[in-house]
Amino acid sequence: MFDGLIAFAGAFSAFANVTTLFNVGWATLIGIVIGALPGLTATMGVALMTTLTYRMVPEQAILVLISVYVGAIYGGSRSAILLNIPGTPANAATTLDGFPLARAGRAGEAMGIATCASVIGTLIGVLFLAAVAPALAEFALNFGSYEFFWLSIFGVVIAGQMTSFDDALKGWIAGFLGLLVAMVGQEGIHAEPRFSFGNSDLAGGIALIPALVGAFGFAEILSVMKNRAAEMATRSVERVLPRVSELWRYKRTIGRSGIIGTVIGIIPGVGEDIGAWVSYAAARRSSKERDQFGKGSREGLIAAETGNNAAIPGALIPALTLAVPGSAPAAVLLAAMLIHGIRPGPLIMIEAPTFVYQVVWMVVLATIAMGIFGLALTRPLLTILRVPRERLMPVVFVLCVIGPYAITQRLFDVYVMLFFGIVGFILREMKYPMAPLVLGIILGDILDKNLRRALVLSDGDLTPFFFRPISAVLWITTLLIVLLALPPVRNAATRMMRWDRKP
Amino acid sequence: MQARPHARADLITGLVFVTLGFAVGIESYNMPRLEERSIDPWTAPGLVPGLLGIVIAVLGGAMALRSILAGATRASASGDTDAAETRSARTRLLLCLALCLGYALVLVGRAPFWFATGLFVFAFVAIFEWRLDDDRQTRAGKLAAAFALSVAASLAIPYLFETLFLVRLP
Repeated sequence: MFDGLIAFAGAFSAFANVTTLFNVGWATLIGIVIGALPGLTATMGVALMTTLTYRMVPEQAILVLISVYVGAIYGGSRSAILLNIPGTPANAATTLDGFPLARAGRAGEAMGIATCASVIGTLIGVLFLAAVAPALAEFALNFGSYEFFWLSIFGVVIAGQMTSFDDALKGWIAGFLGLLVAMVGQEGIHAEPRFSFGNSDLAGGIALIPALVGAFGFAEILSVMKNRAAEMATRSVERVLPRVSELWRYKRTIGRSGIIGTVIGIIPGVGEDIGAWVSYAAARRSSKERDQFGKGSREGLIAAETGNNAAIPGALIPALTLAVPGSAPAAVLLAAMLIHGIRPGPLIMIEAPTFVYQVVWMVVLATIAMGIFGLALTRPLLTILRVPRERLMPVVFVLCVIGPYAITQRLFDVYVMLFFGIVGFILREMKYPMAPLVLGIILGDILDKNLRRALVLSDGDLTPFFFRPISAVLWITTLLIVLLALPPVRNAATRMMRWDRKP
Repeated sequence: MQARPHARADLITGLVFVTLGFAVGIESYNMPRLEERSIDPWTAPGLVPGLLGIVIAVLGGAMALRSILAGATRASASGDTDAAETRSARTRLLLCLALCLGYALVLVGRAPFWFATGLFVFAFVAIFEWRLDDDRQTRAGKLAAAFALSVAASLAIPYLFETLFLVRLP
């Protein structure tokens, strides 16, 4: 377990140079601005940057993308605090206490607390990334086709369950629709086109980035333009830097939220937004000041911002070691790694061990840049938030058109973006979560190839699917998730637990 | 008795998913089995999409059934939302959709990118900032701002992507 931490120190020397620092600086700043602007999410930012950086050296390109990712998740706290609109879905929990603080004239304090909590949260996640990723990659070497099949189903089911708005059924439908989208185009074993209807563009398949830019970019533009414009809570800020004693007072909340955020990040497809909500709920349950939650509690703000940023390194762990993203932005990052010739998966610690530790350093550097910019550039960021949506959204849509086109130079990808934008908007309006859909698009190929390979290996015998140890853990967990989502089973389980607690 | 607000929409989408699932199932069943290539039947291309079609049809059916039990066939719940705001939101949405689709489907690929972008940005800003009660001076100011932004976008975006990052534009 400690091999990771030792190698982590060694990887820095090969990676530290002026270009790295320059790229971290501008990319993190752009990430913060992207995150701060409602209508531009972290997923969209990383997807757009993938097109901008695909001519760069792989390490630098991934560094830029990670910096944008880290910056954007943090940047979303600005609009959450000042406008009561989460800049990215990850900052939804931040609005609960951030906005009341801003309205009470303590916007600077709220932004300072959010910055420090985000920095600490990411660093807690980084420790886990350095320590857990190599161990998980080694463990994943035991995975065969049976296990990867169950991992795909488990990923879609748990992401559907945890990201849906109290309605697992909609989450699962979104996940299985994602898997179905991945079936379009030539399949991976015999190169036979599926659902292409004689169209050569469809035979090429639905690429992830156009679909993501549609679902997280165009759909977001439609949402922003449909909703009423937000009013800023304050136009001036006072002191931003929080006192160390104040942060120390909430050390337990910070530690707990960091761990919760990281663990939630590791779960496939369940990203920063859920990391923040679960951390927030845990903090409220154990807080002495729980009546202050939702009214401007500093502890609530700390929990939300620590939780969402800790989920970033957490989401990178399965992306690197299993090629299964822990969040939607991590899914884009995964696609970008493949574009740059890096093959994430169980073999990564054998094929490119240095890269894993470089990723760790990338997150650390982006976190430092995020902290510096976050505390130093409060007023310029306030100015950016004053840009009216009517002037910002057309420019964002132009970027949504360029992004999908730039990689393959096909107008078909622009049409894919439009399709996913409109469908994504309708699904979101009807409370279908987008994260399982994205995860499904990624996992579709893994599911397809591994189910068929496994059936060939077992000659149609289903026993190995259920009785190999890792497979058994995965399918039993999946089954429990499904059963516990059914109201009669859940109610019965709750009754049993209550009965059990009675003396 | 009133239904849950989303119940009717859920019933419709549930039925759409059932139809989609069946359509996918039938299309998958009709996919080539590649027997002439003597492939293992377990690797038939239609196997996994067919199973996914069945799962989507089942989940869609569960959604439709649940929405019927929640009152989808009864009178829908009366919304307490502001009717004027709902109308205004719908207008903004349709306008945004029309402008974006017009740009991406009609202009991009047919007109030079800088021109298409400039025109789109100008039209978007001018239309969304247009207020009937604005006086002539305010209106001129808004149009000038829209024009300035459109010129800036049509020059800066191609420069950033094509010159700095060597990315091709449509």
